Amino acid sequence: MSHWSEATQERAREIISRYPQKRSAVMPLLYLAMAEDGYLTNEGMEEVALWVDITPAQVQAVASFYTMYKRRPTGKYLISCCTSISCMLLGGDDVLHAVEDESGVPHGETGADGLLSVEHVECIGACGGAPAVQVNYELIEGVTPARARELVRWLGSARPDVVNTDEMQELFGGVRSFDWAIREESGAVGPYPAFQPLGTVGTEGDA
Amino acid sequence: MTTPLVVTKRMTEFPADSHTIDRYEATGGYEQARRATGMTRDELVEEIKTSGLLGRGGAAFSAGLKWSFLAPARPSYLVINADESEPGTFKDRQLLERDPHQMLEGIIITAIANEVHQAFIYIRGEYPKPARRVQAAVDEAYAKGHLGKGILGSDYELDVTVHLGAGAYICGEETALINSLEGLRGEPRLKPPYFPAAKGLYMQPTIVNNVETVSNLPHILAMGAENFIELGHPLDTGTFMLSVSGHVDKPGNYELPHGITWRKLIFDVAGGIPNDRELKAIIPGGASSPWFVPQIHLDHQITKDMCAEAGSMLGSGAVIVMDDTTCMVRAAERIVRFFAHESCGQCTPCREGTTWMEMILRRIEEGQGRAVDLDLLLDVSDNISVGLGWPPKMTTICPLGPSAVSPVLALRDYFRDEVDAHVELGGCPLKKVEANA
Amino acid sequence: MPDSELVTITIDGVAHQVPAGSLLIKAAQDTGTYIPRFCWHERMNPVGMCRMCLVEVQGPRGPMLLTACTSNVADGMVVDTRNDIVKKAQEGVLEFLLANHPLDCPVCDKGGECPLQDQAFSHGPGESRFVEIKRNYEKPIAISDLVLLDRERCILCARCTRFADEISGDPLIEFKSRANVTEVNTFPDLPFSSYFSGNTIQLCPVGALTAAQYRFRARPWDLQMVESSGLHDTAHPRLSVQVSQNEILRLVGVDNDATNHGWLSDKERFGFEYLGSEERLVTPLVRRDGELVQTTWADALDRVAERIGLIRDEDGGGAFAVIGGAHGTNEDAYALSKFARVVLGTNNVDARLDDALASHFLAATADRALISDIDTADTIVVWGPDLKEEHPTLYLRVRRAAQELGVRLVVVHPRATGLDDRASLKLGYRPGGGFALLDEIADGKHPEVRQALSAERVVALVGQASFADGPKLAESVAAYVRNKAGSARILPLARRGNLFGALDMGLAPDLLPGRVADEEAGRSALADSWGEMPVDRGKDTRAMLDGLDSGEIRFLLLVGADPVRDVPDPRKAALALESAEYVVSIDLFVNDSNRDADVIFPAAGFAEKEGTVTNLEGRVQKVNGIAPVPGQARPDWEILDDLAERAGRTIGLSNGEAIAKEISEVAPAYGGISWDLLEWEARDGAVVPLSSARHLSHIPVALKGDKAPSAPLILHVARTLYDDGVMMRHSRSLHPLAPGAVAYLNPDDARKAGAQEGHGVKVVTKHGEGEFSAVLDDGTPPGVVYVPFNQPGAGSLGTEAVVRVTAVGK
Ligand SMILES: Cc1cc2nc3c(=O)[nH]c(=O)nc-3n(C[C@H](O)[C@H](O)[C@H](O)COP(=O)(O)O)c2cc1C
Ligand code: SF4
Ligand code: FES
Repeated sequence: MSHWSEATQERAREIISRYPQKRSAVMPLLYLAMAEDGYLTNEGMEEVALWVDITPAQVQAVASFYTMYKRRPTGKYLISCCTSISCMLLGGDDVLHAVEDESGVPHGETGADGLLSVEHVECIGACGGAPAVQVNYELIEGVTPARARELVRWLGSARPDVVNTDEMQELFGGVRSFDWAIREESGAVGPYPAFQPLGTVGTEGDA
Repeated sequence: MTTPLVVTKRMTEFPADSHTIDRYEATGGYEQARRATGMTRDELVEEIKTSGLLGRGGAAFSAGLKWSFLAPARPSYLVINADESEPGTFKDRQLLERDPHQMLEGIIITAIANEVHQAFIYIRGEYPKPARRVQAAVDEAYAKGHLGKGILGSDYELDVTVHLGAGAYICGEETALINSLEGLRGEPRLKPPYFPAAKGLYMQPTIVNNVETVSNLPHILAMGAENFIELGHPLDTGTFMLSVSGHVDKPGNYELPHGITWRKLIFDVAGGIPNDRELKAIIPGGASSPWFVPQIHLDHQITKDMCAEAGSMLGSGAVIVMDDTTCMVRAAERIVRFFAHESCGQCTPCREGTTWMEMILRRIEEGQGRAVDLDLLLDVSDNISVGLGWPPKMTTICPLGPSAVSPVLALRDYFRDEVDAHVELGGCPLKKVEANA
Repeated sequence: MPDSELVTITIDGVAHQVPAGSLLIKAAQDTGTYIPRFCWHERMNPVGMCRMCLVEVQGPRGPMLLTACTSNVADGMVVDTRNDIVKKAQEGVLEFLLANHPLDCPVCDKGGECPLQDQAFSHGPGESRFVEIKRNYEKPIAISDLVLLDRERCILCARCTRFADEISGDPLIEFKSRANVTEVNTFPDLPFSSYFSGNTIQLCPVGALTAAQYRFRARPWDLQMVESSGLHDTAHPRLSVQVSQNEILRLVGVDNDATNHGWLSDKERFGFEYLGSEERLVTPLVRRDGELVQTTWADALDRVAERIGLIRDEDGGGAFAVIGGAHGTNEDAYALSKFARVVLGTNNVDARLDDALASHFLAATADRALISDIDTADTIVVWGPDLKEEHPTLYLRVRRAAQELGVRLVVVHPRATGLDDRASLKLGYRPGGGFALLDEIADGKHPEVRQALSAERVVALVGQASFADGPKLAESVAAYVRNKAGSARILPLARRGNLFGALDMGLAPDLLPGRVADEEAGRSALADSWGEMPVDRGKDTRAMLDGLDSGEIRFLLLVGADPVRDVPDPRKAALALESAEYVVSIDLFVNDSNRDADVIFPAAGFAEKEGTVTNLEGRVQKVNGIAPVPGQARPDWEILDDLAERAGRTIGLSNGEAIAKEISEVAPAYGGISWDLLEWEARDGAVVPLSSARHLSHIPVALKGDKAPSAPLILHVARTLYDDGVMMRHSRSLHPLAPGAVAYLNPDDARKAGAQEGHGVKVVTKHGEGEFSAVLDDGTPPGVVYVPFNQPGAGSLGTEAVVRVTAVGK
């Protein structure tokens, strides 16, 4: 019945067990579905429907409400440029244009080679480090158009299996909202958030 | 800072490991939670009521009072609102990342005060790093027996689940957040009931509190309500975090006592306006709040009431500073675009109105504006926020729609000429300036 | 709170007494103030989304704008529904709704009956201030075989989505996306295939949802309409029949508390197409050298009259059989009942086709429940057919009671049913093992059931869950419930049009008109108006079929009946018909049973005649004619009256209303019921009393009743909403929706039989066999094979319970 790997099914059970009612697990399960297929496929939504015992239409109603469930094929790297007010004031739009220009991928699209997807997003809570950019939701603050172009080139050449926020901040970032005292070795492995319960946290070396 | 730090104290003194349980316990962590396990609901609610702690999520409602509304039905639930998505706001992110145990201790205290055995932390999906930190802290706390069965040596049971959002500002609104947590679309619920404390998650009594709000609790118990009051302004006790962004020299989060002036905040604390430009406008409490202008408000004290009197709010404590190179129409368009994009789509005025407003503003900014457009814009706004006052008289279920009107009020009150100039020049006057410069 | 409790509120300066706690929008409406609305619907939970119903209410902190559809009235409430602030707010909402709404009213089915269009005229500002480009969508998309969706017309009131979720319980249409690109849609390749999808068309306040069947067919202003009751469902939902150029174009549900709350099943709503079928009979047919050929009424009637006289003289009434009569009006049924007794001199009459419960139980059980009792029960027991398939109106009512009113629901059925997800308790059993289960319950094996039954108000809906359960089980269940519950009310279930009316008119071997037993007392009471009547015990349908087979019965009159398809054991019927000496049929179509008849009379159908009908709770309602009768077709009663005349024994029936009057005089339970009463005073109908009601106490709760067959696989045959019945066969929109020749197997049994989803399986019983396409189904318990009855292309398996299943052609 399930087209998910045994490991993913085990995670699904584990996640459902954290909630008093299984329907509450819809959101994490939708992330699992993305991690399985690279983006949120119809099969993925049907699968989630079976797990929490609602109709696929009901799952779609939820999935389509949120911006982070990508229902179209998405690149290995999702570059999200903030163009909300604070970032806009400090050149967020120029950063977006630099990314589009350097990658040849207009926002809302995915490159033909399936490597990059580009989008502009509303405030990602990095206003003190504007303009801010995320790669697979891993944050880089204080980005300039020039650094943004470097970032795009780096992703194209280095093609890291795991994108690490601290590494990218060092390479391409500038001003930060606050001092990041805490270094992480791990990072994101795809265009969805890297979070332990989802099994989406990657560390250099593995994968 | 002259006044002592509270919620950012540990991370300031021990930047390297303020997030670890060892450092947390080495600096008195979890002692107040342990004390709380020996206290009654009434004792705790009383203490927090007296402390005058106001919610830090935007609505600034007394935490203790909210707790006292908790309906008798059980089970009751606690949901921590870490959806922080109001443009300009990034304070909770710092608290989550740098001192997660402080919040967890606050959660334990809140849980005991509200007879809660299952708590959720709803963290916005774009905050994976904070979420990882919090999950790590939760795991540490379980390992130490601070969470789970028989916490902190008592016989109290408390489970905490970290829930990741997926990109929807509206899920910050507490009833939308609850729907989202139930696996439904993140649509705000009808009021009444006005508080989830009556009917919330799974239609059970539910307390929703902001990250910063609960992070204050261990300190209130430690220093006692009186000392907490001392810290701040009599009507607005304790310290609070301001996220300062935009055209300032030193953007960032600042923990301050209530009551300093805007001038002091912008020119001393945040280092003033870079490239010696002029201050043009201040957004005092996040994108939802009506704007201030230096000529009128610069010397106002920063308190909930002063802001209210001046027709705005402190909201989520997000201060966005704009200098004189900023096109007010463009800034307004950007903020309205945000609300249009984030509307849940339930209410006709919000769904259709905010998009219409965005279209009109974009037209004006791009030079396609008509003389009638500002009045049209105001009238469309009036159909979302009747009378264009503050706090808004809403035609909608929740305040998101009416929030989109705030920047338009600024255009009406302070920047009419700039709008007219756009229409007359057939484009943005400031762009033209840039061009000539 | 008790509805009796009243509070005083002031609306636009006038004080009104209204029920405490009621919704402001409703309270205002009931006291004469209409507050405009789009999303609010009286039969669904408020969502307060469209914001059209904004009104100003005086609050502690000054006046507040509130949505009337989400505000409950409180004593002393002061409301303003039309001051300038309110007007502006409402006009604002309207302008927002129209901003993206296409201006295609002239080509929109809703044009002329569109609340948005009406509001735009009465409230809206003149020409649009919205100069931007409107949203547009690919249009229209078929969200089901019956319903089309124009997304750009949708105003997102969530009526359709709420209906699917709250009322019909199949949430297959939902909101999609958010903000100003929010739309209503289905999941890709998963259509809104609900038995109730048509209601969303009626609910949609704009023309976003339209009927594929009706699209562009007519404009509201050139429709004529009459109110009537639907006969696809023995609850007789109230509806309005809408006609243009003498053709029925659509049926629309009429809201009433008594039966259907305005809802209709798609079978009821769209299943009228057969009436306009090319194949309707328009002249009498007689057999001439083996062929059915057209003839005159006089010729056809005389032939039959002559044959009646002949057989009557030779063998008397015992040689006649009358099967059917459940699809006409009470007036038709009365005529048939009188015709059988007076003209044919026989009690061999039966409107049931061997698939229903005992006639006295159906017609005259004590403590008969009303449909509305479902809402106020503490516990509802459904032990019988899957209501979703056979009693859609009751299905919605019970579903709502369990879901919205918190009534405890107990469902007992051999496999999954449409109500299971709302049941607080579900018991299954092997088909044929119903008595064994009842014994267990009586022996205290299922305390949870006993506990549910010990409630104060219990309503039991009992019927035949499976052909394998005998008709007696339901009576025993009813008797058991009656013994246990504080006060039990019973609703005996049976399908087929106006069956309950037919039984009330005496169309059963042991009944006379008015729920009177066909015994000395009853007969003598009728004697003055009916004259001489047969005294010997009549035969029911099965016995009549045997009688035809044995030659004891020579003459068969079929009235709107197709036993060869409709009785549980069609083979038996086929044989009986072959051996019949003379067969006469009154029908709308040539069917498998009258194909070899000697004479066929063309009959008038639904909406082509006026009369009364009686639903399963005993409610008599008026049905009305508006469509012309095709060709020379005539109402049953008229045919029978004429035939009686020619057969030398008149039954003296002159017109429908007069027959109704005669019924009210001779049929005790129907005393006082007249067409006038139903037209004027009693628009929701009148429930007839149980004149000679029988108490259930005499019925034994079978102790140590027969066990289900122990064979590894047993057959469960039951009806589905859509099947191959004659009306469905001639309704082009619905017939394709019948499941067809399918056999439901538990995945384990399928594996054992080597059957795969969608592949062929051979199902064999002692009485027959057929090839079906396999459906692997967890809802069907191991050891049970479920085969829907009377499906297009399906062979019949008879009533034998033991089956074998083998996979065919890999
Ligand atoms: C549109 C909208 C967005 C909101 N977003 C947030 C948010 O991101 N974080 C938050 O803590 N509160 C937010 N709130 C306020 C919450 O509804 C709620 O008042 C708050 O979380 C209660 O916690 P507190 O009393 O501790 O502040 C929002 C309210 C509205 C109307
Ligand atoms: S105001 Fe906007 S966001 Fe709030 S409920 Fe209404 S539509 Fe949704
Ligand atoms: S009718 Fe009240 S909001 Fe739609």
